Amino acid sequence: MRANRREFTLGALTAIAAASGWSVAAKAADNKTIAVLFDGLYSEFWVAGLQIIRDDLKKRGFGIQEAISDKDDNKQFEQVRAAIAKKVDGIIIVQTDSNAVIPAIKAANKAKIPMVHFNRPPAKTDAFSVAIQADNQKIAREAVLYSCGVAKDSGKKHKAAILIGNLGDPNAIQRRDGFDEAVKQFPDNVEVVARIPTEWDADKAFAGLTNALQANPDISFVFTSSDFLLPQIIQSLKAANKWAPVGDEKHVILTGFDGFPSAYELMKDKYMDACGVQNLFFETTLAMQAILDLQAGKPVEKLLLDPGFAITQANIEAKKDEMWGYTLWKQKNG
Amino acid sequence: MTALNPSAPAKPGAAPPSAIRNLVRLVLSEYFVLVLCAVYALAMGPFVPELWSWEVASNILSDMMPLLIVAIGQTFVLVIAGIDLSVTAIISMAAVVGASVMSETNGYLSGGPLAVPAALAAMVALGLAIGTLNGLAVTRLNMPPFIVTLATRMFFAGSAVWFTTFHTSSSSIAGLPDSFTAFADASLLGIPQPMILAVVVTVVAHLILARSRLGRWIVAVGSNSKAATISGVPVARTIVATFAISGVCAALAAVIYESRMQTGSPITGENILLDIIGAVVIGGTSLFGGKGKVLWTVFGVLFLVILDTSMKLLGTSLFAIYIIKGGVILMAAVIDTLRHRILVTR
Repeated sequence: MRANRREFTLGALTAIAAASGWSVAAKAADNKTIAVLFDGLYSEFWVAGLQIIRDDLKKRGFGIQEAISDKDDNKQFEQVRAAIAKKVDGIIIVQTDSNAVIPAIKAANKAKIPMVHFNRPPAKTDAFSVAIQADNQKIAREAVLYSCGVAKDSGKKHKAAILIGNLGDPNAIQRRDGFDEAVKQFPDNVEVVARIPTEWDADKAFAGLTNALQANPDISFVFTSSDFLLPQIIQSLKAANKWAPVGDEKHVILTGFDGFPSAYELMKDKYMDACGVQNLFFETTLAMQAILDLQAGKPVEKLLLDPGFAITQANIEAKKDEMWGYTLWKQKNG
Repeated sequence: MTALNPSAPAKPGAAPPSAIRNLVRLVLSEYFVLVLCAVYALAMGPFVPELWSWEVASNILSDMMPLLIVAIGQTFVLVIAGIDLSVTAIISMAAVVGASVMSETNGYLSGGPLAVPAALAAMVALGLAIGTLNGLAVTRLNMPPFIVTLATRMFFAGSAVWFTTFHTSSSSIAGLPDSFTAFADASLLGIPQPMILAVVVTVVAHLILARSRLGRWIVAVGSNSKAATISGVPVARTIVATFAISGVCAALAAVIYESRMQTGSPITGENILLDIIGAVVIGGTSLFGGKGKVLWTVFGVLFLVILDTSMKLLGTSLFAIYIIKGGVILMAAVIDTLRHRILVTR
């Protein structure tokens, strides 16, 4: 019996591996293969990002080798080495830690395989890689400036709360700085009373905002550094009896960032005033072009910026087609 | 039953009894997992030819080393019928403490000649202290190892994140000295330094467990702690020693991980608990205690890393890898349980 179980295990493993092996071999035949290494699929943004990259690679006839590291830097380093051993033609990576990714960049440099960081740049290093990043500060500033204008037009002074992301992530820092730049221009209209560290954790965001609303019941201006926290914000505002659309006396001026489908829906239903949008389609095109240019030996800048844009209640009809969240929302809702 | 009856006629087409005996002997052999590694690697060859390349073989060895060291520590604890769930938190905590000492940006001994040795000493001392704390809680407070180490795991995993916030505005402590980060890639007489460390740990651990009085005490405590007490074995001290060894091994693994990633991150090793315990169990160390060898753990780690690497090369999703690894570990645990039940009923 014992022998049979062990044989069964071995047989099952071999069969699974064989099945996977054939499919991968078939996919990558006679084509360039790009390794796409994400640290996780924790929000719609990353799911959509991965899908847009897949679609782009398929359109180009490229093979794809995907891996998720589940926020494990060491595992991601091993995945990079596996991709190098497979002699892929390029690596698109989303790392967890901007410092811990540096050995992976060095390994890719040594193997002469172009590496592109998708949406999250590495820490400063001598090793060469290209980072695609949204101009977070500018996009956040533009979105919050619109909301500050709304606050000014209301004729009241608003108390504001900001939900800050993980400060190990440069994106989070830049979005916070963009928010600060905007509100500083409206000292008579917006006063920041709560800075809520979320570490990109939805539970922490919910607890933090709930506490802030209890400590400052007159908060009427909220900025979130990512739309993935919107469900928690809605829940907190509902619990505080502050969930109301634009025009209602109880309305809290709400500004988002990312451009999720749920953000589009809130904009459409007039619960959200503005949202900073990262252009995922453009970022994917930039990433692929960078890999192709590096392979062709052309010089590429270390940082390529996605200018993004702010979608507001004033320009939603004109800009919604450029919003990835609207594209996904439309696919889902017809 | 008929197979055991020499007078029963052999069934037509049945394998000769000697072949079955040989197969059973192979399955029960302590080298079975090693044979399994070779068979698996051979079977995967046509689908993942890179698996047989020098580059991937060297990756496998390099990936094995930190996991092997921490799994060896876990072997000691499993042999006394305990479990140490805190090893991953020890790795995280040691990584950030070491980095806080030697970091060239804002380390306590930044730029000093003693920065690296002091950081290494702090890491090992921390592992020893947490391991000893676990052992004392188990023996003095008579608490189950599972609960003790689960609690220390949560405590020190949280502490590692908290500690990091005092040393950097980022999520990890960077700027480690070149003399430390070079360790992961450097070689001595053509042998990678992490491998030398792992081999030294393996040999020392083997000598302790198989050839020393402490090793005999560990096996005796794991087999039957009451009998060991009556026989004069210092049970409490032996248990504390195994947890201390496990803590030190986790800290040494942290040295390799930190040198490899060139940064002290509070989430270092956070996700490898399944691999650590799984490798030891696959190797054949009993979850019921009293039985285990360092060599078996080497084979278990090798099998798990080959499995993991082949799946990565195939581009298998992380979730599928978890399912396959979980299945293999479950199978090994089931075999161990059956073997234990047979031994008990005999």
